[in-house]
Parts: sequence; structure tokens; C-alpha cells
Amino acid sequence: MNRETLRQQVRETLVSELMLKTRPEEIRTDAPLFGPNGIGLDSIDALQLVVALEKKFGLRIKDSAAGQKVLQSVDTIVESILNQQAPQPS
Amino acid sequence: MTPTPVPLPHGHPFVFVDRVLETDPGKRAVGIKNVTFGETAMQGHFPQQPIMPGVLIIEAMAQIAGVALHSADPPDAAGRSHIAAVRNIKFRRPVTPGDQLRLTAELTGRMDQLAQFAVKAEVQGEIVADGEIVLG
Repeated sequence: MNRETLRQQVRETLVSELMLKTRPEEIRTDAPLFGPNGIGLDSIDALQLVVALEKKFGLRIKDSAAGQKVLQSVDTIVESILNQQAPQPS
Repeated sequence: MTPTPVPLPHGHPFVFVDRVLETDPGKRAVGIKNVTFGETAMQGHFPQQPIMPGVLIIEAMAQIAGVALHSADPPDAAGRSHIAAVRNIKFRRPVTPGDQLRLTAELTGRMDQLAQFAVKAEVQGEIVADGEIVLG
């Protein structure tokens, strides 16, 4: 799956799962997901997102340390999804 | 203090699980709640037409989730959790005195102190309420 498609799908997941009052296209892919200078998610949102990302993209985030690395921004989530996918046979 | 019949920190009149039927510690629990005319809430909700309040069905489902989460804890150090989020709960039909609620909670995700559950309440095999509850 190409990176741009994944970016859009991850943004759509954020908006629909977390009921964000914004449109997917308005989320900057490098914006911090947590904290006042970004999208402003909290730890309850994080758990919901972890469950949704596993369901939709098969992305396993096993603990909060992994969560802090993966859930920094849309870009870091996309990177993690791409990294865990097996290389396509050429 | 009167001991409750189930492993919960709650006391009378706020225990909404009468019996635990199954537990898979940390992951899943099933229990029952018998709904009776004599319950306090039923007196006013509503005097002419007693219906178990939806918020109490949510509480019952949260309590069975608490049983799932803490059923592996040692008795003298049983943990307690509070509701952190309630999502997508639907009430599919009224619950009235004489009904027996079968409550089920299944863990869907966990991170640090937070635990997310898919919950449901059934009467005679029919789902009367379901949704998601996060304890933390």
C-alpha cells in the first residue's frame, strides 16, 4: 500500500474513531497527536487508537513505551505500518 | 461492612452484579443481575412503569468489566477501577422487573492503567444493551 493512501486512511481513522471535529485533510501528518501544540489527544484516546490501528492495519503496539514511539504523529504511525508489512515479492 | 457476593469494592446499594458465572482473569467475565421491583431506582423510574435506568445498566456492565480486570488480584489487594470512558452504548429494549441480565465484558485493549472492554447485557439471549467501556 502506498504511503499517501495510508496517510489518508490513518487520518480518516483518527477522525472517525476519536470523533474529532475536523476533516481528515486538515490534520497535518507531522502534527503531534498529544499535547497542547498538536491534535490534543489524551491517554484514553491513545488506547482507543491502539485498538483501532490493530483492527484496521494489523499494527501491534504492545505497551505504552512502544505507543510513545509509534503514536507521535500520523507520519510515525504510517512508518510503523509500512515497517511491519512483509516485503512484497518482486 | 456487608460483604458483597462478588469480587467488587462496591457496597449496598450499588452492587449490580448478583453472581459471577465465568472469569478469564484480566480478560473476560460473565455475570448475572436479577432485576426486581423492590430496587430503589425502580420506585421513581417510573412510578407507573418501572424500567431499569440505562445508567445503571452501564454501571452493571462496568462492574462486570471490573470483575474481569481484577479477578486475578489477590483478595487482600484487589484493585479497583473507575469508569474512564463510555462509548457507543445502545439500549435496544427496556429492562423491567423480572428480567435477568446476563452481563459480559471482554477486554479489547490495555495500556498502563487503562483497560478497554466490549460489553453487553442480554435478557434471554437477546441483547438489550451493548457498547464499549474503558476502566482506569
